[in-house]
Amino acid sequence: MTTELVSEPEAAIVEGPRRKRRQKLVPYLLIAPTLIFLALFFAYPMVQGLILAVYDDEAVLPVLDKPTIDGNQNGQLPQGSSVEILDRQGNLIEGEVTSDLLTELWFRVSSEDGAQGWAPETRIRVREESSDGTPLIGTVRTKLGAEADPLTDLFEVPNESSEVAAKVEPSVRVAIEDTATLEVWFQVRASGETADELGLVEGWAPSRFVQIFGDEVSGRIDRGTDGVFTTRFVEKMVEDRFFGPAWRTTLILMVLILPIQFVLATLMALVIHARVKANSLFLYIFSIPMGMSDLAVGILFFSIFTGNGLLNSVLEGVGILDDPKVFLSSDTRNWIIAAIVLAELWRATSIVMVIVVSGLQAIPDETLEAAELFGASYWKRVRYIMLPLLKPSLQVALILRTILAFQVFAVVIALGGGEIVTVLANETYRQYFELRNTNVASAYAVFILLMSLASAIFYLRAVRTQQETSGS
Amino acid sequence: MAEIRIEKVSKVFNGAYAVREADLVIEDKEFLVLLGPSGCGKTTLLRAVAGLGMADAGRITIDGRDVTYLRPGDRKISMVFQSYAIFPHMTVRENIGFGLKMNGVSAAETARNVDEAAELLHIEELLDRRPSDMSGGQRQRVAVARALAMKAEVLLMDEPLSNLDALLRLEMRAELKRLLADVGATTIYVTHDQIEALSMGDRIAVMKDGVIQQVDGPSEVYAHPANRFVGSFIGNPPMNFLDGQVVQSADGVRVQVGQSSITPSPTSVSALTDFVGEGVVVGIRAENTEVLNEPRGDAVKVDVRVVEPLGSQNLLTITVGGNLMKVATHPTFETSPGADLWIRFPPEQIRWYDASSHALLVGGPD
Ligand SMILES: Nc1ncnc2c1ncn2[C@@H]1O[C@H](COP(=O)(O)OP(=O)(O)O)[C@@H](O)[C@H]1O
Ligand SMILES: [Mg+2]
Repeated sequence: MTTELVSEPEAAIVEGPRRKRRQKLVPYLLIAPTLIFLALFFAYPMVQGLILAVYDDEAVLPVLDKPTIDGNQNGQLPQGSSVEILDRQGNLIEGEVTSDLLTELWFRVSSEDGAQGWAPETRIRVREESSDGTPLIGTVRTKLGAEADPLTDLFEVPNESSEVAAKVEPSVRVAIEDTATLEVWFQVRASGETADELGLVEGWAPSRFVQIFGDEVSGRIDRGTDGVFTTRFVEKMVEDRFFGPAWRTTLILMVLILPIQFVLATLMALVIHARVKANSLFLYIFSIPMGMSDLAVGILFFSIFTGNGLLNSVLEGVGILDDPKVFLSSDTRNWIIAAIVLAELWRATSIVMVIVVSGLQAIPDETLEAAELFGASYWKRVRYIMLPLLKPSLQVALILRTILAFQVFAVVIALGGGEIVTVLANETYRQYFELRNTNVASAYAVFILLMSLASAIFYLRAVRTQQETSGS
Repeated sequence: MAEIRIEKVSKVFNGAYAVREADLVIEDKEFLVLLGPSGCGKTTLLRAVAGLGMADAGRITIDGRDVTYLRPGDRKISMVFQSYAIFPHMTVRENIGFGLKMNGVSAAETARNVDEAAELLHIEELLDRRPSDMSGGQRQRVAVARALAMKAEVLLMDEPLSNLDALLRLEMRAELKRLLADVGATTIYVTHDQIEALSMGDRIAVMKDGVIQQVDGPSEVYAHPANRFVGSFIGNPPMNFLDGQVVQSADGVRVQVGQSSITPSPTSVSALTDFVGEGVVVGIRAENTEVLNEPRGDAVKVDVRVVEPLGSQNLLTITVGGNLMKVATHPTFETSPGADLWIRFPPEQIRWYDASSHALLVGGPD
């Protein structure tokens, strides 16, 4: 009886926290899928893509001490190095071909006059096959080249270094009696990297990674199988002659656009917030550009600035110009920049405005009325109440717009073609699609990403320190 | 001198009157409470005085100066908002000094006024803190200090205590009353809490549906409600109203309530004579009845329905001639539901109301 009495409250105590903990589990259950989603569809592909900027996955080819896949590594040869070909070996493969080595097909043939032996597929043209694809009849190919021996060697076993069993004339009909698959290895020598030093490396390499020159004794490493981290692509990006101009232009555009944009957006937001008549109409009008793609805006402004476009018509109409002026050409760089600035202002100011409007709406009416009652004129209310309270909104908008400014692309292409005025995003595109240099394109992408991150951190810190210093 | 005159002020929202032809004079240094249920137009009228929502019709003068359409900043007024409307990005010091700074008062004088106001409200140690980490009561003090720092002759307050919890409200009520008496500004104080109104105001203006019903001192408003609405809005429990019939009997004019009849006081007889044969409403407060255990004279027999001991008194719910009413007795008075009880209506405590207009017929304050 007594024990029961004691245990009852204990049970309650044990139950209490457990129930509490279970309630707290729910947010984590919600977070888990989010994290998995982010990892799978965001972080993983992004890292995969960005790693290309600093990682060359075909950089070096390991060469082995014997021509088999389980040989020991003698050293590494970088991609593109010139090699001496010392030897060649074909290993007979039993059964299915599974390795990714280059293979050679050999036929055991016999001619009508009794010659018998093995010859590579390159020397025999298959003429007849059975219904399941097995070659039955072939002819000996003609050798090209004047100095070459016109006869074709037939070997004892399917290996070029074995005994020659017979020689056959070109075009002779042969019966194909058997086939054999060889994997081909080359013994190569070049200066490369041994296990612990740089020096002459000699060893066997699978044939598919080695390109053989016509003389049969020299070649080069076509590509490697092992990756290494490298600054090569980053260096290539920095040394790229378009890198400097692209980076400068991106910054210039940002410096020209953002201040004007924020002043305009704030003024527009104040107009809407002032609850003048038809302010919702203003909101709709101001929001139109948000519904247009940036390329469409670029084309729209191109049509304004073009030879017989709106601008020229107006200028001619009011008599400022006698003939249409060419605004967008290779020697009017500044006009192109001006057009881009205008287009970007037209296109992206409303998104800032929407953020500022929502920030203004978050300020309670009574707060503004209190300021008015205590004698603050409209502009003093803007300065002492609205702008300080808008700081978080402006910060968000500034981060957003700066990041977008680093990515400016379609408007620049539409108005300048991407040659005279180029920006970072355009260079990324050019490297990827025109020059097919995925790694350098990645380096550009990483650069844009780092700049965006740096600017976001800068804004966050700048605003925080300001609050801290004025705080206490 | 800062007398506020509100003359025939109206304000219309979406075609409906929020304030209708309000007439009100608040004398210099007077503390006037604007009392009424939620939505009756108190804030609207106060905002018209403040200039935050201009009147649609009528005239408002402060100290003889027509301010009806003046900007709020030019009216020489100060205000405590219902939500306090503290500036969240400023320290308490900056908040209190804001109005002075906007009005171009010198830094030295601003600092002096800020310190003074902070001292009055005991928030000196909060001066360098931000409102974001302060309690409701502290914000409320900041809001009052900010209003007082202006040293305006007119002070407007919109339900300044309604966002505080009950205990704090009680405490703050007494403190504000003392404080505002010292400051001596002409004050309009809006509230929907009748106890607050009774305890604080020099005079109370009771509003209903945008119309001012009665403007009088607290005791007059309580004892002589100008109509049924005021009687039922002020006082807890509300004033009792019984439907009666004026009859002419052998010994003069009497009022029949159910089976019983009430003798009016000599002063009300003349007024009631006009209503002979018609209905009239009898108004009497719970504590003004005499409750008796046995019949006596003109006492009326009633049924006891509910007995509520409240400590300082017992509240009985009874029925008289089909009307429910509440009467208060001494806490030692013993009775129970279903018991026989007689009550007497002292003639001088009865207020007579018109059966249709619900207006006080006779017995208004002298
Ligand atoms: N800005 C406004 N727009 C439309 N109607 C309003 C506005 N302000 C107040 N009202 C209306 O006016 C009436 C009185 O409101 P208010 O003065 O705030 O009442 P109180 O302060 O007495 O609670 C209410 O019916 C309210 O709905
Ligand atoms: Mg209100």
